Amino acid sequence: MLEFLNYLALSWLDPQLLFLTAVGTLAGIYVGAIPGLSVTMATSILISFTFKWDVNSALALIAGVFVGGVYGGGRTAILLNIPGAPSAIATAIEGYPMARRGEAGEAIGLTTVMSVFGGIIGIIALALFAPVISQFALMFNSRDYLLLGLIGILLVGTLSGESFAKGVFAGGLGVLIGMVGLDPMTAEGRFTFGTISLMGGIPYIVAMIGFFGVAEAFVQLQTLDIPAVKQKIDRIVPRFSDVKRYFRVAIRASGIGTIIGALPGTGGDIAALLAYDDARRSTKNPQVPFGKGAKEGLIAPEVANNAAVGGAFIPMLTLGIPGDAVTAVIIGALFIHGLKPGPLLLVETPHLFWFTVGNLALANVFLLVFGLTGIKVFTKIVECPKAILMPLIIILSAVGSYAIQNDPTHIYWMLLFGIIGYFMKTYGFQVGPVILGVILGPMMDANYRRAMIGARGDVGEFLWNFVSHPISLVLSVSFILMLLSQTPLWPWIKSRRARKAGEKSSQETRR
Amino acid sequence: MAISRRRRPGELTFVFILAGFSAAALWQAYLISGFSGLSKPGVFPMLAAATMLVSGLFIVADAFRAGAVRSDNGLSVFSRFVHDVTPLRFMIMLAIVAAYLFSMPWLGFVVSSGLFLLVSLLYLWRKSFWVSLLLAIAALGAVYLIFRIAFQVVLPKGALIPPGIF
Repeated sequence: MLEFLNYLALSWLDPQLLFLTAVGTLAGIYVGAIPGLSVTMATSILISFTFKWDVNSALALIAGVFVGGVYGGGRTAILLNIPGAPSAIATAIEGYPMARRGEAGEAIGLTTVMSVFGGIIGIIALALFAPVISQFALMFNSRDYLLLGLIGILLVGTLSGESFAKGVFAGGLGVLIGMVGLDPMTAEGRFTFGTISLMGGIPYIVAMIGFFGVAEAFVQLQTLDIPAVKQKIDRIVPRFSDVKRYFRVAIRASGIGTIIGALPGTGGDIAALLAYDDARRSTKNPQVPFGKGAKEGLIAPEVANNAAVGGAFIPMLTLGIPGDAVTAVIIGALFIHGLKPGPLLLVETPHLFWFTVGNLALANVFLLVFGLTGIKVFTKIVECPKAILMPLIIILSAVGSYAIQNDPTHIYWMLLFGIIGYFMKTYGFQVGPVILGVILGPMMDANYRRAMIGARGDVGEFLWNFVSHPISLVLSVSFILMLLSQTPLWPWIKSRRARKAGEKSSQETRR
Repeated sequence: MAISRRRRPGELTFVFILAGFSAAALWQAYLISGFSGLSKPGVFPMLAAATMLVSGLFIVADAFRAGAVRSDNGLSVFSRFVHDVTPLRFMIMLAIVAAYLFSMPWLGFVVSSGLFLLVSLLYLWRKSFWVSLLLAIAALGAVYLIFRIAFQVVLPKGALIPPGIF
């Protein structure tokens, strides 16, 4: 019993581990904030030079980068409207309008405190429920992952675009881009047009940099002469009343984040979007309307993506299944250090489990410290004239696109996506669903085919499976309800019900 | 449905291109494996492209329903398009960015980025040449330091630059 406490506190007491976690978290915040640099990339680079270290030091550094990076993505989303990571797409919707009003300091302070809150909840869940949650996650079938992916894209499609059709179109385009390359199951080329460079597919980071970074830089050209908004940074530590006020949203978002993070294959990105949507639906009277800088909508995704970190470790440590791209890389790191993530890890190396729990908690403490202190330097970036910022964004985007696979053609893809993104933004399309489609498309494709093979290619059986299993039924019903709520049918039913209720009450008053 | 908004200049053309692209994508997806089986590699791309085509047709219909492009000052739709969507500054920057990215395989990252920074700063920032040059060198140095030295990221090398120099 005492032994596990010892492992839990190991990184808090060992100066070297303490230092490495601190460095990792600080680096993670800045890496996560730079749009071209992804946490996945940073983690994989880190692994390439930490594999000679002992396992605790390597894990301390990687945990720090992971926690810091997930949080850092929200910073550029708030300050520049460019999400540093896909999990910060929803953050930009509410955070950027706040920065445009000069409230970036407040927005960052609030997200920092709430992110740490979510992170801690996720870690508590990891410590308490790892075995239980992994059992539940094991019950998810391939069709359930397909439904989760569809719901994720649909959610982004409905968020703040001009029309539902445009959101769906963007999601489809993303899935299509994600399909390019050799099919992972049969190695047949899809949309490769016989060229070798397309066989490896188009990495989602290239699409993300193009649609967000480059397209945004082009859009910014139109407002070049408008002076940058001076950011008020006097208030960084959020008011206690604010923290209390948004506590309900934070609790809900941490629950969503933890559970979604614990589902293999889904990570902070879907968690953040679901939490944002939940906050939007469950908040009756926001002080500021959603889409214009509602703090509820700013907090929810940030809490959820940090809670998803703890959640993502659950299937990773107990099942050996990655929750998202970063945990996939961390699994690789564990293997390098001779550990076998999976059901036996908790039995064979329980100390590693408790060390990870303690370490993630420590990283969150550092997140609070660094998150609340470095803001002044950070907000200076936004006050920098756009004429300087725009060329720099282009250069960072080019480096980021090239660095993934050292392939110059990815830079041209980035430019093409940037131009398409510029026109899409101009004509009222959302680019968020495109990115989510690119990321989730291959996962959905694989799960669709697995489900279809499971049903022996019989369409009737395939469809029956969607309603005959409890988890699938719940997901199918929510998917159909979400679709219906976007069609003209929904307001019609609502108005009919309202009219009936009105007739009833008028009859009653007549009596 | 009441007319709640007006078309943006060029919108109709753009949404037609999108719908056309979706149809072409559907055809290309069909060519992958046709209707030979429900778990073949081409099925999901076909579903994605079909979704795009259907929603694309809705978008086209929606664009038709919207009111015509606002034509104040007697400007034609085309000149409004040029003014609102592809203004001169956008086109010039697009050309500079394209020239930068396409010159990178020849000049290498350092030289092409340095030139790009200098040219775009001179064009957008409109400060004196020396201030722009100084800023370009400082910014490029910082980028090089962070990516090449700290993160060990491989930056594109130029075919025209002798090996050993950047």
